[in-house]
Amino acid sequence: MKKNGIVLRFLQRPSAVIGLTILALQVIAVIFAPWIVPYSPIEANPLVSLEAPSVAHWLGTDVSGMDIFSRIVYATRINLLISITAVIVAFVIGVPLGLLIGYYRGLLSATVMRLFDFIQSFPVFVLGMALVSVMGQEIWNVAIVLAVLFIPMFARLIRAEVLSLRERPFISAARCSGATDLSIMFRHILPNAMTPAIVQISISIGMAILLTAGLSFVGAGVRMPTPEWGLMVSIGAQQMILGVWWVALFPGLAIVLAVLCFALLGDAAREVADPTARRR
Amino acid sequence: MTLIQYWRVLPRPLRIIAGRLVMIVPQMFGVMLVTFLLVRLLPGDPALLMLGNMATEEQIISLREKLGLNLSLYDQFIQYAGNVLHGDLGVSPFTSNPVAVDLLERAPATLELITYAMLLTILIGVTLAVISVVRPRGPIDYGSRVYGLAAGAIPDFWVGLLLIYFFFYVLGWAPAPFGRVDAMVTPPPTVTGFYTIDSLLAGDFAAFFSALGRLLLPVLTLAIVNAGALMKMTKTVFADAYRSEFIRHQRACGLSERTIVRSALRNSLPPIITLVGFLFGFLLGAAVLVETIFSWGGLGQYAVQAVINSDYPALQGFVLVAAAFILVVYLIVDILYELADPRIKV
Repeated sequence: MKKNGIVLRFLQRPSAVIGLTILALQVIAVIFAPWIVPYSPIEANPLVSLEAPSVAHWLGTDVSGMDIFSRIVYATRINLLISITAVIVAFVIGVPLGLLIGYYRGLLSATVMRLFDFIQSFPVFVLGMALVSVMGQEIWNVAIVLAVLFIPMFARLIRAEVLSLRERPFISAARCSGATDLSIMFRHILPNAMTPAIVQISISIGMAILLTAGLSFVGAGVRMPTPEWGLMVSIGAQQMILGVWWVALFPGLAIVLAVLCFALLGDAAREVADPTARRR
Repeated sequence: MTLIQYWRVLPRPLRIIAGRLVMIVPQMFGVMLVTFLLVRLLPGDPALLMLGNMATEEQIISLREKLGLNLSLYDQFIQYAGNVLHGDLGVSPFTSNPVAVDLLERAPATLELITYAMLLTILIGVTLAVISVVRPRGPIDYGSRVYGLAAGAIPDFWVGLLLIYFFFYVLGWAPAPFGRVDAMVTPPPTVTGFYTIDSLLAGDFAAFFSALGRLLLPVLTLAIVNAGALMKMTKTVFADAYRSEFIRHQRACGLSERTIVRSALRNSLPPIITLVGFLFGFLLGAAVLVETIFSWGGLGQYAVQAVINSDYPALQGFVLVAAAFILVVYLIVDILYELADPRIKV
């Protein structure tokens, strides 16, 4: 009953509806890509290089004659795969880590926090770029690096919640009734500390999409001919000065839509999770 | 005991600054550790990575010797830290200059870009935030909400390209996105490294306007993308101050709206200073992308070249300098924060 209430309240928000609509489009693109696209996303055809949008090529072609629409649809797979994997890994590692360093407060916890400080004192994009280029420019390395960059964020969110929860009477009550540390942490504290981290998931996916695109744009991410939005924009970048706008415009729009979708979902989730923060 | 007495008689600003300066030493140490591990602990032999796959066995052995890779990790770190403290960041195999020299040469270009971008971002962000709080439900309030949402979703490199298309190709208002001044104009003699300031010092107005024109689009790009976040956060802080008791009291006393806004802004200053500090770090990362688009020739473009060429000493040097720069910015921010908020005890 209570769960239904939450879902209903979530669905009543316009931002959630818009976000879910875009998400549905993306899911369709991911699953049905081979049936949607008219051309191969990785086959070059020099005969139709740099053609403007037309009936044959809905969104035009790039410099090597690849169909931009086909590549954008296929790129949804790569971009969402990298971003969602990275955030899930960061969540799965960051949440228990945050729980541990919030619950046990010793030298080790302090050390981990300092380590997070160091990681977060680097500009995210700069550190990501350096790490990917040292590890090798593979799809999975991009995902791993993004996960490493996001772990401190989740761990901090959980830790902040744990720090205030662990002083609450119901925790003392659990301890008095003989609950072990492990059961206090996972059964009593964790369920109450999860909300901000869950809300953060959606926003982080948006950030991950932007970072992935940026990394590929500067050549520190996915490589040609893999269809990826940031890479596609970078291919169009050289022609933008010559007035060829479609090569860079459409993949950029795809990035904006994808990030907007997860930002809207995150906003809606936050409003549902924390009714006091509804109107700022 | 005597030390504490000395401490207490120091003027407040000095105590704040001294307290913060002590903090930066361990932080710098941590940053050095991270940049050191960045290249050493990741898969692959650094010597092989630096020389590339074409290297011969002897080259690799001699480079390993030179880099001290045969020493223990601890000794290697001591050696690296010693080198860094002496300003030696290694030699870039691609430009064949010392990395420190390369970085120093390019730093002013990036700093000039970031500084102007920062100023414009603050101007746009704070103005929009103040207007939308003072006139809620007005057109600017709604407009700024949409803008705030959109700005967080737009990739900066894409905005830069769109601006180039419209203002350079279609309208022809902006100069070509190649570098900091026109090819025809000689850059002004270096004093500060900021072309706009140096050209004015030299009285060279042609160079000044050329540099200003070249700055226009990249600065606009950075400001458009980042002002949204600053606006959203400033709005929250300023709205709290604007609805607080002392503002209501001021209004009851009949002070003008102008004075009220100013005093609410003064009271929301400390958190805004922190935000601006974070933004500086963000801008440095964003500058990497924007510099690439505008062939800016600053630190960011240098870093991208390093990535493309697998130039690890250069990359390591850039990451170190970027992190050190951020630490110094945060240091200044912390000091300003404490100076701006008299309630904080030192």
